[in-house]
Amino acid sequence: MVTIEIDGIELKVNNGSMLIEAADEAGIRIPRFCYHKKLSIAANCRMCLVEVEKAAKPLPACATPVTEGMKVHTRSPKALAAQKSVMEFLLINHPLDCPICDQGGECELQDVAMGYGGDVSKYAEKKRVVREKDIGPLIATDMTRCIHCTRCVRFGDEIAGLRELGATGRGEHMEIGTYISKAVSSEMSGNVIDVCPVGALTSKPFRYSARAWEMRQYESIAPHDCIGSNIYLHTRRGRVMRVVPRENEAVNETWISDRDRYSYEGLYSADRLTVPMMNVDGEWRETEWDTALEAAVSGLKDVVDHSGAPQLGALIGPSTTLEEMYQVQKILRGLGSDNIEHRLRQRDFSDQDAAPAFPWLGTPLAALETANAILLVGSDIRREQPIAGHRVRKAHVAGAAVFAVNPVDYDFNFALEHKLVVDPRRMTSALAAIARHLVTITGATNPAGLDKLVQSPEYDTAARAIAERLRQAGRSTLLLGASAINHQNFAAIRMLSALIAELSGSTLGYLSDGANGSGAWIAGAVPHRGPGAQAVQTSGKNLAQMQGSGMAGMLLVNCEPDLDLAEPQSTMQMLKKAEFVVALSSYKSPALLNSASVLLPITPFSEMPGTFVNAEGRWQSFEPAVAPMGEARPGWKILRVMGNLFDLSGFDYMSAVEIRDELQKLVGDVAKDNSLAWRAPEAGQIDGGTLVSISDIPIYSVDALVRRAPALQKAQKLLGPGFRISAALARKIGLKDSQEVKVKQGDREARIAVEIDDRVPESCVWIHADISDASKLGAGYAPIVLEKA
Amino acid sequence: MNAQVKEMSKLALLTAADLKEIDSEIAKYPEEQRQSAVMAALRIVQDSNQGSLNQDLMDAVAEYLRMPPIAVYEVATFYSMYEHKPVGKHKVCVCTNISCMLRGSDGIVSHLKQRLGISFGEVTEDGKFSLKEVECLGACCGAPMFQIGKQYYENLTPAKVDEILDNLD
Amino acid sequence: MNTVTNYFKSLLLIELFKGLALTGKYIFAKKITVQYPDEKTPYSPRFRGLHALRRYPNGEERCIACKLCEAVCPALAITIEAEPRTDGSRRTTRYDIDLAKCIFCGFCEESCPVDSIVETRVYEYHAEQRGDLLMTKEKLLAVGDKFEQQIAADRAMDARFR
Repeated sequence: MVTIEIDGIELKVNNGSMLIEAADEAGIRIPRFCYHKKLSIAANCRMCLVEVEKAAKPLPACATPVTEGMKVHTRSPKALAAQKSVMEFLLINHPLDCPICDQGGECELQDVAMGYGGDVSKYAEKKRVVREKDIGPLIATDMTRCIHCTRCVRFGDEIAGLRELGATGRGEHMEIGTYISKAVSSEMSGNVIDVCPVGALTSKPFRYSARAWEMRQYESIAPHDCIGSNIYLHTRRGRVMRVVPRENEAVNETWISDRDRYSYEGLYSADRLTVPMMNVDGEWRETEWDTALEAAVSGLKDVVDHSGAPQLGALIGPSTTLEEMYQVQKILRGLGSDNIEHRLRQRDFSDQDAAPAFPWLGTPLAALETANAILLVGSDIRREQPIAGHRVRKAHVAGAAVFAVNPVDYDFNFALEHKLVVDPRRMTSALAAIARHLVTITGATNPAGLDKLVQSPEYDTAARAIAERLRQAGRSTLLLGASAINHQNFAAIRMLSALIAELSGSTLGYLSDGANGSGAWIAGAVPHRGPGAQAVQTSGKNLAQMQGSGMAGMLLVNCEPDLDLAEPQSTMQMLKKAEFVVALSSYKSPALLNSASVLLPITPFSEMPGTFVNAEGRWQSFEPAVAPMGEARPGWKILRVMGNLFDLSGFDYMSAVEIRDELQKLVGDVAKDNSLAWRAPEAGQIDGGTLVSISDIPIYSVDALVRRAPALQKAQKLLGPGFRISAALARKIGLKDSQEVKVKQGDREARIAVEIDDRVPESCVWIHADISDASKLGAGYAPIVLEKA
Repeated sequence: MNAQVKEMSKLALLTAADLKEIDSEIAKYPEEQRQSAVMAALRIVQDSNQGSLNQDLMDAVAEYLRMPPIAVYEVATFYSMYEHKPVGKHKVCVCTNISCMLRGSDGIVSHLKQRLGISFGEVTEDGKFSLKEVECLGACCGAPMFQIGKQYYENLTPAKVDEILDNLD
Repeated sequence: MNTVTNYFKSLLLIELFKGLALTGKYIFAKKITVQYPDEKTPYSPRFRGLHALRRYPNGEERCIACKLCEAVCPALAITIEAEPRTDGSRRTTRYDIDLAKCIFCGFCEESCPVDSIVETRVYEYHAEQRGDLLMTKEKLLAVGDKFEQQIAADRAMDARFR
């Protein structure tokens, strides 16, 4: 600690911190452009010049370390003169187009010019003009406004891990850009908009649509991933205009992913369901709430009366709020059915009884970045959970070793020290190899049945290296991603991962699907456990069992059966065969129109109160920002009325908070324990065929909301079509890039253009699960046949 | 993101001799500081490609030095001695800075422009000469001057310019 | 004493004659009444009447949707919506002034960086229904087109005081 004095105020600050940090902490405002607390120090804007006693010239506060007895004046005549002159230079080339600039009203340059600039410019010469650049569908550029603070360049380099923007040319010819116009491809690229102090980088979908001062700001939680990034919804006249991050150091720091930032566009998609609808003799009619609710309840009652309660099931999207999930399971269990499922993309339920109380991250999110070794198992973490990916990257930058056992050689923004890119059929064997090495290293007793699983000697070197590093790391963690959780043989993967974690002293974490994948377990939205992981008398049917046996009545909440589920075909068949299907949905999705009997409009997250539990078990509640659109109503209200109509007790809630409180009281502190006792897993097989399909969900297809956000869809399109095979396989079949191929899976056939991508193992076909052609196919992680068309 | 991975390697654009020379530059720096050789690498590549760079060549350098391409573009566009458009066989770099200007560089420039039929930043039709305006080359005592290739020519007069140009093949 | 004075004043009709004297004075004074609508009084180029949106001489609308007028309007009478036009420029898709709310303070005109929204000298307008008092973008542009010459002349006359 050193003692310094800023503007006559004596401060005790940490040794080695910069003046501007000390001033910020004490609430003394020093103007700045290039300094950003999350980025490295560039000291190139010179706006933060302050007078330091005994220094000959004013010094930049952002790059001047504090020293004992330093006396600083931020508002002395000398400092003010320096700041004023810098401001004048910065404004030389800055256009006076504030009236048409989207940053106008929330612009750091405007504010600082008001506070520290002069009122007249001496500059009468020509201003420079920089041509606009097209850097993709998400970010609009007006580079003439750029003041070369290089925050965006440093963001790309240090945070996004993709050095795409740069400063080319010099002096007056300096330009920030990508040199060759190309789309910035980071999954967190939208943050450059917030980082940019001027209007050079602004949001493209938001362009020109509203002014900062017209909007109201509401706190909310991002509804797409298990991080639960804290966000602000900016609304104007009852409409969400944009989304910006809300700082929460423990969760998302100051960043949010592009998915969270731009998905709001989907809230106003043309196919929003705003009126209750009923299918009357094959024709959809809009109707009143009373009629629709009566019809829904009596239809489901009929199913229970005729076919029995076990023929009734519910599928709940994993991004549904805790309150809704809790009520759905309360209704179903009240009616005598335990068939409640939220694990819509999961395929293997065989070890569900051994699952933890809820799938948690194994460590607080912030602690992820302090790990010394991280093993990703079946995770494209950048795209699945961008903010968690950022934490992993931070850990890597700080020196952690990152490993991956993945079905595809995903491109990460950090280097993998070792990777095992394996055919999904050999995932277990690769993990078993790591576990086996750990057994040897630790000298533990060899768990029964482990040796049988080790089938692939070719992974030996990498597996041994991973095992050794994990063991030595001290703080290490395993993260199970979507390709692991949704794997055909998840039980074995989970078991082996737990063994690896135990032997190496690592934590085991889940990166669950949706915004409330953890909350769903807590709320009891699983067939075999009630709220808070309490055991139920008889376990209900899980998704696979429902699909297998067929159901007479279904309640769908917040899911599109053809796109949100692992096996769309069999799900659609199940729904079509069902006597009565009620869907609570925000959208008139074609699949629902095809299969449901009653559609009840529920509001998306922006229009209702609710709670999401993120992967670290953090309960984050939010309030509505805007009124429900049309006749749509928050799900908790609809479900409460349904509960009443079913004559079930305990549905007298007056607010969503009551529901949450009831659940919280019921479950108390849910155990955070991912550990698992060893039980030799089956070496499950994906039978037959030489080729197997890997289906993962593209970043902007995870839920109904993002699928309807036009800008994100454009961004996804830039990534190319999603049917990829390796060059070797293409040669074998005799295919060229983007040539069409006949694809057979089960009894289905499609013609799809292939893209050659060497990140895919030779024995695999990588399908982005919901590309329109691929949805004609059957299951993911299943045998597939390619024939030359 | 995927597009990047798919991009073809451009390393083939660099000749073995160039790579060897670049390697000897890389050897001057600590092992983890390969990118320090970027300026030398760009010079080597420029010299062996008719005196100019293009995006593919810069990408190749980036790939070889394991740098992001944009970082190479930054360097290459910052320094004026890297050319981004094709230049003539002889690049005539005329100093127009103060000493040369006072000693009559304007006359030399207009004579050159007239004789070659091109202005600054252009190449003669036969591809033999290109003309470039440069800042002080540190030969003020011999002003006015220009540089062709690695050779300085000082105390220029229009007649002397003609003689010099005539003697270049 | 006062009672006596008042008694005589009213007895002698003094107040009445005083009043008649005033009436008599104005019978012969110069008349200032104008026969509206046949006659009109002169009025200032700064008169703040009906609003108009102006165009540039090439026909391009001036308004750039900066929304400063909307922000400054004390009566919240202005409603603007904007989006990029096909050529990428910033334009309004909606520009409404509710004349029933407007207090004709002229702040919108003051705040406009491109002299787009102006208050003209027009004060003779009416509405039969409340809705007619909502001036849409089309109506405002039409007013501007109709009175452009006068608007421009008035601005020119006032320019040196600004």
